This record gives sequence, C-alpha cells and structure tokens, in this order.
Amino acid sequence: MSRPVVRWQIVSPDPNATVRFYRRLFQWETDRANALGYREVPAAEGGMAGGVWPGPEQSQPFVQLFVSVPDLGQHVSRATELGAKVLVPPSVLPDGDTMAVLLDPLRMPFGICTLRDR
Amino acid sequence: MRHFFPGALDFVTGESQPLPTMDFRSALQDEFQRRRRQNPRYSLRAFAHALGTHHRTLSQILRGRRRLTMRTIRRMGSRLLPPSQVAEACIAENCSAILCLVRQHRFRPDARWIAVMAGIPLNSVSIALHRLLHEGRLSMRSTASWVPGRP
Repeated sequence: MSRPVVRWQIVSPDPNATVRFYRRLFQWETDRANALGYREVPAAEGGMAGGVWPGPEQSQPFVQLFVSVPDLGQHVSRATELGAKVLVPPSVLPDGDTMAVLLDPLRMPFGICTLRDR
Repeated sequence: MRHFFPGALDFVTGESQPLPTMDFRSALQDEFQRRRRQNPRYSLRAFAHALGTHHRTLSQILRGRRRLTMRTIRRMGSRLLPPSQVAEACIAENCSAILCLVRQHRFRPDARWIAVMAGIPLNSVSIALHRLLHEGRLSMRSTASWVPGRP
C-alpha cells in the first residue's frame, strides 16, 4: 500500500528569516504554540501542513518530507534493510506524534511519522 | 589550530558520521596545557588575556565553578577556533545543559521550559535536542517521558 507524504519541513540555519521570507511571499503563518516551540505552518486549502525547524549556524537549509506510516518501527527496520541510515531514531514527540528521520541510500534525509489523531 | 570539535555539524543531514565532541571546558584546559608545555612560564593570566576575559573568570570556568554560556563560548571560542567549531562547542554545551535538566525530577518535556531553565534560546534547544536524539544520548519514549540514553 502506498504511503502518503503528509508533512514537509524546512530545516534552516536562520528559521526567523525563512519564516519572514515565506510569510511575505506566500502569506504563510506559523504557530509555535506547541511543546517543542516548532514553527508549524498549517495546511492551506489544497495543501499540506509543514513547518520550519532550526538547523546549526553553519548548515545549509534544505527541505525534508515526512511520510505517514502505521508502524514506525517496522518501517525504520525496512528502511535500514534497504540501505537507509537512521539519523533520529523513533521518538515520541510531546504533542503525541511519533517520528524518525533517516538518510536514504542516495544520502537524502527524509522523515517517517505516525501522526496522532487530532 | 587544533580541531576541538571535529565536523559534527552535519548531524542534521547526515553528511558525515558525527564524531565524539569534546566539551569547551576541556578544550580550554587542553589548550592551556598545550601552551604551558611550549612555554612553562605561560600563565593563566596570559591565557585569560588571549581569550579576552579576566583570569579569575577563566579560573572559575576551568575549575567548573562557573557555567559556560553561549555568549562566553562565542567570545572565547572566536579567539581559539574556526566559526564552525565555535558553533559546535555551543551545541555541545547546550546538549550537556539539557541532559542535566532531563535527569532532574522536576523536568518537563517542553522546549520553552528547557530554554528558560537552561538559559538558552529556544532555537538552540531545538538544535541540541536534534543532536541528542541523533547521538542516542536522549530518547523520547512517550509524550511525557524523555530519558538519557537510547530507546
């Protein structure tokens, strides 16, 4: 069964500047009222929700996609069998979502997650 | 210049395997000892001057009696290390501060609470949390339980 991309995330060394730029360009609003202080960008009509996460000062900004799966641990195992590396092991976030971040065999980071019912 | 904090900045993209990082206090101690080996008359006062701080302040830092803030690391580090390693030193120090909090009974798995208690900016908390998870030094087992170490 095909698993959907359900979230995007920009990892930026200057998240305030990133948010400022996209707010001015696309009128994206961010909401930080969550336990991680994560800059959530709610889904616009026809789109999907995402967010901006800070990266280290010296890093390059990039976009990460999160794919929703029903069994996170199983998919992490399968991904590693297929040649992926685990960057962030399965973690239960304070707001109830579970996620892991991996590096695919071509060295592109991506996330998998199980979102809590909202 | 010796590389105290070898290229572990890529933990976000996984471009390279993170290497063990030395904390900034140890880096200062090592650098001071290195200079003393080269010149046995090299004093703490001279080292403090080189770092742009008072010798009493430096002494307290070296003995672990004074907390290292990001500001201190940036100010002193800029005189010893390349910018990437100064940034890395800040992350390492923030990781240590967060782990200290995680071990406390009053700990709350909330980035704002951590930021206030550790006295570090919210963005820096996020970066340090990412690092800790990546290195297996912290695990988020449930919405309310963060524990040091791997899941």
